[in-house]
Amino acid sequence: MCRLLLVAVQVLAAAVVYAQEPATRAEELARRREEKSRQLAPPEPGRLERTLLALENGRLFERILNPPEGFYPKIGNITAGGGFAMGPAYRKPLFGERGSFNALAIASVKRYWLLDSRLEWPQLAGGHVFADVHGRLFEYPQEDFFGLGPASRRDDDVIYGFRGSEVGATAGVRPVPWFALGARFDHLTPSVGPGNTGRSIGQVFRGSTAVPGLDAQPDFLRYEFSADLNLREPLGNPRRGGQSKIVYQRFDDRDLGRYSFRRIDVDLQGYVPLVRDRRVLALRAFASSADADRGQDVPFYYQRTLGGPDDLRGFRQFRFRDRNVLLLQVEYRWEIFTAVDGAIFYDAGRVAPRFEDLGFDDLESDYGIGFRFGTRNGVFLRIEGAFGSSGGKHFILRYGHVF
Amino acid sequence: MPSGRKSSRAARTSGSAARTFTVRVVVVLIALAAGARGAAPRFYPDDPIQVDRDAEFDASKATPIEGSNGYDFAEHTFLKPGDRRDIPAVNVNTMDEVPDSSWFTNRIGRRAMAIDEIVRGPNSMDTVVVDDWPIVRDKTSGITPGYRVTDPSGRLYQIKFDPPDHPEMASGAEVIGAAIYHALGYNVVEGYVVEIDPAKIVITPTATTVDMSGRRRPMRRSDVDRLLARAARLPNGKYRATASRFADGIPLGYFKYYGTRPDDPNDIHPHEHRRELRGSRVFAAWLNHDDSRGLNSLDMLDGPEGARHVKHYMFDFGSIMGSGSVFAQVPRAGNEYILEWTPALKTLVTLGLFVRPWILVDYPETAPSVGRFEAEFFDPAKWRPEYPNPAFDLMRPDDAFWAARLVGKFSDEALRAIVAKARYSDPAAADYITRTLVTRRDKVLRTWLTGVNPVVDPQLSAAGVLTFDNAAVSAGVASAPAGYVLTWSRFDNATDSALGVPQEQRVSGPRADAPPAMLQGSDYVSVAIQTMHADFPGWAAPVVVYFRQGTGGWQPVGLTRK
Repeated sequence: MCRLLLVAVQVLAAAVVYAQEPATRAEELARRREEKSRQLAPPEPGRLERTLLALENGRLFERILNPPEGFYPKIGNITAGGGFAMGPAYRKPLFGERGSFNALAIASVKRYWLLDSRLEWPQLAGGHVFADVHGRLFEYPQEDFFGLGPASRRDDDVIYGFRGSEVGATAGVRPVPWFALGARFDHLTPSVGPGNTGRSIGQVFRGSTAVPGLDAQPDFLRYEFSADLNLREPLGNPRRGGQSKIVYQRFDDRDLGRYSFRRIDVDLQGYVPLVRDRRVLALRAFASSADADRGQDVPFYYQRTLGGPDDLRGFRQFRFRDRNVLLLQVEYRWEIFTAVDGAIFYDAGRVAPRFEDLGFDDLESDYGIGFRFGTRNGVFLRIEGAFGSSGGKHFILRYGHVF
Repeated sequence: MPSGRKSSRAARTSGSAARTFTVRVVVVLIALAAGARGAAPRFYPDDPIQVDRDAEFDASKATPIEGSNGYDFAEHTFLKPGDRRDIPAVNVNTMDEVPDSSWFTNRIGRRAMAIDEIVRGPNSMDTVVVDDWPIVRDKTSGITPGYRVTDPSGRLYQIKFDPPDHPEMASGAEVIGAAIYHALGYNVVEGYVVEIDPAKIVITPTATTVDMSGRRRPMRRSDVDRLLARAARLPNGKYRATASRFADGIPLGYFKYYGTRPDDPNDIHPHEHRRELRGSRVFAAWLNHDDSRGLNSLDMLDGPEGARHVKHYMFDFGSIMGSGSVFAQVPRAGNEYILEWTPALKTLVTLGLFVRPWILVDYPETAPSVGRFEAEFFDPAKWRPEYPNPAFDLMRPDDAFWAARLVGKFSDEALRAIVAKARYSDPAAADYITRTLVTRRDKVLRTWLTGVNPVVDPQLSAAGVLTFDNAAVSAGVASAPAGYVLTWSRFDNATDSALGVPQEQRVSGPRADAPPAMLQGSDYVSVAIQTMHADFPGWAAPVVVYFRQGTGGWQPVGLTRK
């Protein structure tokens, strides 16, 4: 009993002392710190913070989507209209990191697939020389076809399958960072089939007279020469400057002697900065002209097209197709905030069997509005609505810039 | 047996009664103890404290924390972390000043600093030469290219290079920022401008780096060459950089601008309510330190085993003034958060016809080492960091006033000398940066020295003469007021209340004779000082000063600023 009382008195004596107001400011603060010293706990970041930290520290996005070496998932598009695609890819630096080997195998939700590999040296001779050897196998089973020429009908929409291989090499020089001359050589083995869905091309179009190259597809040798003057600033998401690119291609029919042709593409882009580069007027003029050798023709599957998310955005993919193409695009882009731009656009263009038929009359056109998500280094996603065309309204969700 | 049971029951009853008695005694003692806990006095004998002894409890159990850039941005942009009550700073002393602590050491605010001392800043040496100092590993954070080296004594330094298009820019910003923040009172690490001869770069065999695959591997010369390709090369073939010496102690990561470290017993004041963190918004605005966020701070566990404490550092000034570290600062910096809804929505719905005013700012054609820095458009009150900062959000006029007074301590000559420390090769660059800092300083003073009643430095002589200063008038940012209204009271410290009838006085200047009746026999006296100025009606809010009678006369012991 006495012991209990003694303990109680001792405890209470201490309590009484503690219950007294501190005598000094320093004591008051010390008491608060002593109190906290009894409740210490390690910092515990939440799950989201831990996850983001792991992503940043592990460079997971870079490692997963674009690593310098090893396997990674490739995500994107195989070709225009091919749908969302993904698959494994592999990269291996070679020759003391002066070169690299790249390979990928991807397939899309529309059953497009592509096997691609290349051995490349992008920065030889101090960055002044580039070269690669490459090869690819592919199958595009749902390519749209509406007929040839500007008068093709939307109701004639059919599907064809396109598969083939390309094996070749590229080499070029870049005497200054903004100018490059390149040459390319490929062996091509195109093949046209009925397609895996919908109305097949053979059900509506018959014979090579109406559709050159439909009944037989030879192997080709393709020779290409290009010049590229690129003064865009910044390169990935330009606000000023421009780009002029000219490409000459020669296709040699190796089997049938019926489809050898030449083609010249000219692509001019200009960017007019407004309001201290926060607004941009982006202009593009693209023209392509193919000319077959005497008595020969340009196969339909190698003819340029208009229509789709990168050119005439108010029309379906490949809506117009012919030997000659003219495309004019203008966009007004404005920065909404860092990493998001708005854009209003107008596209116009036409195709024609003869170059002299191209002009500014009877152009197909559309307009629209959209948003671009990205940085100075590039646009990774754009969302657009295209209207005002005879092809109806189109919603576009696309990786990468339009031009 | 029955009698035995009875005896036992009696014994139990007796014991129970004793326990009941004991409990009653305990209750009575507790009541007595509670009664003994009287009302706290307004001022303790050691007020105003000049030092907050926040290194007394051992913090050895504190563990390193690591911050995520993405989370930090998202948390501060989309959430409102911290205690958002609009309350005065909690770590000031009774004179409304910041005591010295592990966060802050009063330097230029408490004493006159020689210009040489300001310029030297935290540095213990005049210069360092890093030739042949071996690289021991890569640089693990930030976007600036660099690596870590050790000096002959084994001290670790971080090397950071200037961007190719802006030689001298980031390194100049780094040493200027370190000198100014050090003089203001913050803990900063030593930093030196150095020139690195690529032929004298040495890599230790154990040096490692992390490649893009996320794997740590031995560091190679090609890794260094890749870093140098992203660095500015001087005409003499060398690379200019900053060498920042690692602070003493064990790194604990960074501090947040809200809450307290849960593993540090000494950290009891929520950071968002610390004056030196709230007020650092003023310094950040002055210097355009838009990257002033928790992740650019550093906590170090300092001291001997068993008596360690956390020391808090400001860190990384390579992105101040016109420098964006690896590019010239973007025009948005200091003018708008990375994500700010109102201007973004205006721009969106008007299809870009609404143009944010800062977009149209003209930056003078200057040397590349300046980057993008200006003073004409600068509006201190509207200045913004990259994304919201809780302590900045909670800054009150009295916090800003405290900070602005420190800014006002930097003379033109001192600023010119600090800028010279950056060793800009173009004299025009140094001159421009100095002039811009001076102009921005003056704007800061005009904005924040006038936001509250600027009465400072009150003194009451033994003869009963009250003197004080008007900080805004002294700084030349306001004209002399029409007068002051003084309301004297005797003050009871024990009950924190005025005694008797107040007595009012009107004076034309910052000097008055206290009413003798107020002083006679008083231990404490208070005077509420209102400043009457037509241009600043808010100055009529009184500054109340408390004086305590001591052996040496009257000592100012308290100051409240409405």
